[in-house]
Amino acid sequence: MKRICLVCQNVDCKNRGSEEIMKELEQRASDKGLDDWEVKPYMCFGACQEGPNVVLYPEKSWYAGVKKDDVGDITEHMAGGPDVKRLDTIDASLKELIYQLLDTGVF
Amino acid sequence: MEGILFPRGIVEEKEGLDAYRARGGYQALEKALNRLSPGKLLQEIDASGLRGRGGAGFPTGKKWAFTADTSETPRYVILNGGEDEPGSKKDRLLMENVPHLVIEGVILAAYAVGASKAYLYINAAYKDAIQAMEEALADAKKLGYVGERIGGKDFSLEIVFAPAPPEYVAGEDSAVIEVLEGKKPLPRQKPPFPATAGLYAKPTAVNNVETLANVAPIILRGAAWYRGFGTAESPGTMVFSLNEEVKRPGVYELPFGTPLRHLIENCGGGTRDGKKIKAVLPGGPSSAFLSGDQLDVALDHNSVRAAGSSIGCGVIGIVTEDQCIVEEALRIAEFFAKESCGQCPACRMETNTLAMLLKKIQQGQGSAPMLEQFAKVIAFNKGKGFCSLINMPGPPIESAVRLFRGDFDAHLAGTCPGN
Repeated sequence: MKRICLVCQNVDCKNRGSEEIMKELEQRASDKGLDDWEVKPYMCFGACQEGPNVVLYPEKSWYAGVKKDDVGDITEHMAGGPDVKRLDTIDASLKELIYQLLDTGVF
Repeated sequence: MEGILFPRGIVEEKEGLDAYRARGGYQALEKALNRLSPGKLLQEIDASGLRGRGGAGFPTGKKWAFTADTSETPRYVILNGGEDEPGSKKDRLLMENVPHLVIEGVILAAYAVGASKAYLYINAAYKDAIQAMEEALADAKKLGYVGERIGGKDFSLEIVFAPAPPEYVAGEDSAVIEVLEGKKPLPRQKPPFPATAGLYAKPTAVNNVETLANVAPIILRGAAWYRGFGTAESPGTMVFSLNEEVKRPGVYELPFGTPLRHLIENCGGGTRDGKKIKAVLPGGPSSAFLSGDQLDVALDHNSVRAAGSSIGCGVIGIVTEDQCIVEEALRIAEFFAKESCGQCPACRMETNTLAMLLKKIQQGQGSAPMLEQFAKVIAFNKGKGFCSLINMPGPPIESAVRLFRGDFDAHLAGTCPGN
């Protein structure tokens, strides 16, 4: 199964530039030859005020407030590099809820 | 039977001024102006036990007291005719058919809370209702019931019309106020509540059309008479909406406490094709499903709650044996996802997630663990929105899974029990 990089494409995240971030993630993943990854849109993680939100699954890494400059570090992580700790700011209970949802294969 | 609002409990031809006066029309207002102080009027409404008919069932006397007890002026009354609940047509039909009853209720409400201006906020798509209300308001003005120094008393009232955007959330009371202030229909964070800080931050009584239609009969005949209808905690009548699932769709005014079966079978004539009833939503899309063997439940707030659901604004939804609950639950989830105004992140996430899960299940791409997610998503977001919309998809969806697990299992296995 492919690993998934979910990028929220709902109103708030879009207003904060998530469309461009998604394109950048796709481009960088392709440049790095990350063929085992698929970059996909998601409809809402419920952390709109902290967007744009990006979740790596099944890694269960949630990156919030992602800017274009952060995309390089995120794709490094996707390629086996370290977590991007500075973007890991989401409340644990919300993470747990969303990860359980993703575990059901809903995306 | 005789109704309190509709003369015979059903919709007949439009009641003009003469017919309204023949059944005591505007005598409640005369009585109030001549013999009752605003405080006495409010006490009578409180004693009647009248509860709001817009869905929440809050006691009207208490709501008005919040507005009347402030020292702030001016104060406002808003007739909330923004009705956009799927299948609900009671407010439209009240305004179209007994417009004077509604107008008299608005004037009495203004008298009770000390308001100098009232807004008739009516769904802009309701052309006939707006016209009927315009005609009735013109009559009332001619009779001197609206304007300066009504009945020679120290009570003046201006009444104006305001179009309501035909959107579900535009009927939420604080969204109503936003619209009147020229903004988009987005609910406000509460408190403060509109009753004390509403339109232009002034005390504002926002009441549903049916609620205000009850006021004149209560004042004319008294709280004790009113309590002769219905039950102790749900006095009076309620106007129930039946739709195309029955042989005789329409609105039916019945005393609270009437069995659901009577409404569906005797008023509605039973299901259209005579099919067996599988489930009922007794209070519109935000109420929990009752199963087909609960038709003897009494239609009042307490009894419906004890049965596991809520009476809402009296829209009865019926699911027959040939229909699938998963399809119904999906329809409801998609309705709330569409109608969520989107300003509260939790509501956006919840309504979208529920719809997404149900869509997957309905399409046969579900998994058993998905069924466990509904309750978690609903509990996580409970009360996290400005308005109650965030709490609305929970009851129908959770009850659907609880009562009709077999329909969900069928979808997980790639089949649909509906025809």
